[in-house]
Amino acid sequence: MISLLAQEDFHPEDEFSLDTWVDLGVLSINKAVVYLWIGAIVTILVGIWIMRFGLSLRPSRKQTLGESVYELVQGQIAEGNLPHKAIGRWFPFVASLFLFIWFLNIISFIPLPISNEHFELFGAEIPTFSLYAATSSLSVTLALALITFFATHIEGIRYNGVGPYFKSWIPPGVPKGLLPFISVLEVISQFMRLISLSVRLFANMLAGHMLILVMLGLIIILESVAVAIIAVPVAVGVYIFEVAIVVTIQAFVFALLSAIYIGGAIEPEH
Amino acid sequence: MGSVFATLLAQVEGEDVVSAGRAIAFGLGVGLGAAGAGIGLGYLFGSMIQSVARQPELRSELQGIQWLGFALVEAVVFYGLLGGLLAYVLA
Repeated sequence: MISLLAQEDFHPEDEFSLDTWVDLGVLSINKAVVYLWIGAIVTILVGIWIMRFGLSLRPSRKQTLGESVYELVQGQIAEGNLPHKAIGRWFPFVASLFLFIWFLNIISFIPLPISNEHFELFGAEIPTFSLYAATSSLSVTLALALITFFATHIEGIRYNGVGPYFKSWIPPGVPKGLLPFISVLEVISQFMRLISLSVRLFANMLAGHMLILVMLGLIIILESVAVAIIAVPVAVGVYIFEVAIVVTIQAFVFALLSAIYIGGAIEPEH
Repeated sequence: MGSVFATLLAQVEGEDVVSAGRAIAFGLGVGLGAAGAGIGLGYLFGSMIQSVARQPELRSELQGIQWLGFALVEAVVFYGLLGGLLAYVLA
């Protein structure tokens, strides 16, 4: 029985490897780059289609949907966290983060023929249909988190001055002797924000997709169709859970935390 | 009893110990992370239910904070998972 478990050919981690398709050095085009382009184009087109033309005082269903998304981002994410002097500049950024990440995550659950491997169909070589999330690459989420990181500190320095901004990191009422210790901890915690922001989205998307792949791959590894009775419903359950809940929550939380960090830097409470 | 144990231990090679250690590290990382998440999420949603029971009109305001807390607690699971994976791969 143990020897039957040795199916050597199942490598789900290959789904997430980024082979260079067009070599332009650092700006090479690979699967993640293509998915990022698709995500950007879909976000822009859907935004234009829903909210750009034909707005009226008696909203259609489409317009109501767009307005409720706007209300969600404005009320929940921007209002409580970004101060009024900065909300004009940073609300579009936070809303774009939310929508872009949401569309990237949703597109990752649609099988698309963009892949490293190919299969034969009527004599033509077509890339295999595969599920891939651009946000399941740490580079993508780190890039987005770095934008938030630099926005936070640059805005904090711009609105408060270099000295007062860095002083605001230290909570009030700290005895003088502990100051160097606390300062080191605060600097580390600022970098932990960057890491946690990027790793949270990355790990959620990677784990979701990997779980689906491994669940279905169990059928291949154990080389028995009977496993499908359990594996397929579980995989479908994970898929529905991811699409319905995790995608929206992760996009919402990334945008919300970005708003909190930027707002907190512009107007530190202490 | 002691000599049986000693002979058993003598048969275990260095590599077996390392791979056993890696497997245990991975399992511990994931398991403890999941336990922490279970406690945290249970407490979070429990306090959300209590707050909404006391003041139903605050429900929509509290929901934003609820989802933020949910995502922050879930993220800790992934820190544990990441640590376990690192231990598995690097050991």
